[in-house]
Amino acid sequence: MIKLQNVNKSYRLDNEIIFYALKNINIRIEAGEFCSIMGPSGSGKSTLMHIIGLLDKPSSGKVFLDNQEISNLEDDEISRLRNEFTGFVFQQFNLIPKLTVLENIILPAFYCRKSLSFEPKEKALELLRRFGLEEKKNSYPNKLSGGQQQRVAIARALIMNPRLILADEPTGNIDSRSGREVMKLIDDLNHKEKITVILVTHDLDIAKHAKRTIKIKDGQII
Amino acid sequence: MINLAIVFKEGLADFSRNKLRTFLTSLGILIGVFAVVILMALGLGLKKYISDQFESLGNNTIFLVPGRILSGGGFSGSASSFTGTFDNKDVDKLKRIDNVVSTAPLTLKSANAQGTIDEEFIDVMFSSEAIQDLMGFEVDVGRFFDKTDLTKRAKVIVSGPKIAEKLFGGNQEAIGKKIRIEDVRFTIIGVIKSKGGGGFGGFDYDNYMFGPYTTGYIFNPEKKFFRIAVKTKGEQYVSQVKEDIKQEFLKRYDEENFSIVEPTELMSAVNSIFNIFNLVLVAIAAVSLVVGGIGIMNIMYVTVSDRTKEVGIRRALGAQKSDIMYQFLTESVLLSFVGGFLGLALAYVAVFFISRYFPAYIDLVTVAISLSVSSFIGITFGVFPARKAANLEPVEAMRYE
Ligand SMILES: Nc1ncnc2c1ncn2[C@@H]1O[C@H](COP(=O)(O)OP(=O)(O)O)[C@@H](O)[C@H]1O
Ligand SMILES: [Mg+2]
Repeated sequence: MIKLQNVNKSYRLDNEIIFYALKNINIRIEAGEFCSIMGPSGSGKSTLMHIIGLLDKPSSGKVFLDNQEISNLEDDEISRLRNEFTGFVFQQFNLIPKLTVLENIILPAFYCRKSLSFEPKEKALELLRRFGLEEKKNSYPNKLSGGQQQRVAIARALIMNPRLILADEPTGNIDSRSGREVMKLIDDLNHKEKITVILVTHDLDIAKHAKRTIKIKDGQII
Repeated sequence: MINLAIVFKEGLADFSRNKLRTFLTSLGILIGVFAVVILMALGLGLKKYISDQFESLGNNTIFLVPGRILSGGGFSGSASSFTGTFDNKDVDKLKRIDNVVSTAPLTLKSANAQGTIDEEFIDVMFSSEAIQDLMGFEVDVGRFFDKTDLTKRAKVIVSGPKIAEKLFGGNQEAIGKKIRIEDVRFTIIGVIKSKGGGGFGGFDYDNYMFGPYTTGYIFNPEKKFFRIAVKTKGEQYVSQVKEDIKQEFLKRYDEENFSIVEPTELMSAVNSIFNIFNLVLVAIAAVSLVVGGIGIMNIMYVTVSDRTKEVGIRRALGAQKSDIMYQFLTESVLLSFVGGFLGLALAYVAVFFISRYFPAYIDLVTVAISLSVSSFIGITFGVFPARKAANLEPVEAMRYE
């Protein structure tokens, strides 16, 4: 489904030194896979995940989605793919504080240009029911625990029926019990709904949920 | 497509979190719109007042005025004593001109007058009986003076309603009463209906008294008039009559010593003065609104940088650049629109009070202009910050704390 070919990501630091966050990455992820990206902090896991999720562009190299090269697509087209094709779950939840739980979950639907096959509000309520958060629908994110916020973030990632879920250390900011709940949800997405999942973590126990692990160090796959 | 209700909600949430900042930002636009609306209301009121005054004269009336009109003296004034340069010979000449229906010479006398309940410094306009028709006066009680009064040089007087009220306590009460102007005792024979208006350069007829010009010679021994009103048969005769008068008067006067004016002509002169006024207004408006707009731009830059992370999140969820642009533009328009709306509301209240003392009013055009201009300011000055937000790199923006 996704293929990265000779991908490099470099940053120009202020003293004109070029820093390579990713070096010559070649990976291929098939539809329905559950794959984890593991490595120490600063090794380039998030950078890699952003490139896979079409949120960032490589400095060089190619990214293919369903065998179509995406680096020459317009920004609007890439935004549309992010909207319809991928769902992100972040370590810091990244909910929008001034929107309610329900509004946060529906938000991606607002950015969709095509007509939807579902009613976003119905779908959001159904997800909230499934995640046991129905009574929180009109709460604001800061009234929720970390585990609850992360479940809202997962609901938001799912609203557009994505084919790919990208989770960047989803349990990193929550207690271990909530973490287990969140991991159970993510497992179910892959096992029951056949959604492709890419999970970034530096925790070996979390990585064990995935069938395949990509190990990365200093921007290189090892 | 992103829904406007949500965008509004978010904008308002942002505003209410920073109430003071929002208020101060809107203040620039508020003051600008307030000032402009007040000035427009005053201009409109004044213009309407003046045009009403001219309108009552009708469009088949011509005035003869000494000197050059609009360069010296002006058409209307309220100096304490007007004697002029024209005399009875001129009036007779005018009467002989084709298509002239009536003529009314005018002199003014200002003096202290004693009524039954009060004493007042008043203006008396001495003219012929034709003045009633010329000015469109309607008699409320009693009668207007007539030709017989003129030939008899009768010491009769017709009062405006305000002065009748002040000196005698009412129109009915004034009838038949004697009034002393200097050493001469006049009898009040009638009171006219109110013509409204207050004295801003025009005559406030409600505060005048009117008497036969022949009687007025008592105060005007040289028998000179400062103005002669000429009524023509109809509008179509006005230009010919003007030309004839000019030819006739040039025999006696130098060109710069008299002017022939028609109200419509004067009205266009007034209009051109108001056009200049409007131009000045536009300049003031432009300056104050640009200042307000810069305030909005400044605050929108702050907002964009405050919400950089949020922009990144939205982009990750699939928002296009145009969605981000639209959101921030909506907020800046909202901000300046609210400022404009408050300015308008405040001006409305102010005009409500001003209009008691000065003819001022707000029309729909003023409302439409002030609201659309403030929205336009929001768009113009919101574009740059909004574009900055739209062009943020998603990942960079999300890292921002
Ligand atoms: N915008 C940037 N400018 C400079 N360096 C960056 C930037 N973004 C990431 N990096 C660097 O790239 C490396 C990889 O970052 P990241 O992918 O976030 O690591 P991880 O998620 O594995 O902790 C880090 O050393 C980080 O400092
Ligand atoms: Mg990371």
